[in-house]
Amino acid sequence: MNRNTYYIFTGIIALILVGILWWSIEIGNPLPIEIAFVLGVVLIYLIRSRISSIIEDERYSRITEKAAVRTLEVFWVIFFASSIGAFVTSLDKHPFPPPIPRGPAGGFPIRMFGLVQLILLCTMIFLYVGFRIYYSRKYGEWDTDEE
Amino acid sequence: MKNKIRVHRAIHEITQEDLAAAVRVSRQTILAIEKGKYIPSLDLAFRIANYFRVPLEELFIYEEVNED
Repeated sequence: MNRNTYYIFTGIIALILVGILWWSIEIGNPLPIEIAFVLGVVLIYLIRSRISSIIEDERYSRITEKAAVRTLEVFWVIFFASSIGAFVTSLDKHPFPPPIPRGPAGGFPIRMFGLVQLILLCTMIFLYVGFRIYYSRKYGEWDTDEE
Repeated sequence: MKNKIRVHRAIHEITQEDLAAAVRVSRQTILAIEKGKYIPSLDLAFRIANYFRVPLEELFIYEEVNED
């Protein structure tokens, strides 16, 4: 299998997952998308292991390693800051002077945590992709040849 | 780190693709090493030197650089 076939399979799996996500929302049950996501990732790893052309050598590993470390270095700060925010909110202490009552809808609804987690996850992915592009350029991933 | 891989490839009349296959890396890695954008590990450097049957110091010239 070549690399392009792998990318096509990955795209198809992603589309199927989007469909299952939509279906899960429709039926109001998170289990199908949770199971499908894990299966999808396993399937992608299996397909990836069948690529015949060499794509993962030491330079590739170096790019991955550097991008992952930088992502972690930046992301933990964002994650820590948002976690502190959530912790402070969870204490539910009333400031002085007490706030104007906003009715039963006031406060942070628990269902919003899923959205916050998704935003954080997307932030992490964007950070990783950004650093990956930076280090790929640095280590000549897209350089052209004079041959 | 400077290197003479391109010169030795020219002497042996082999392509980057051939060398990459012989030392089990991607062609892009050979290109990056030749351009000085990537410093190979000691293991890979020895594999390339062994392939050309030259000492390591003949192929790679050390220059102190600020990595990162």
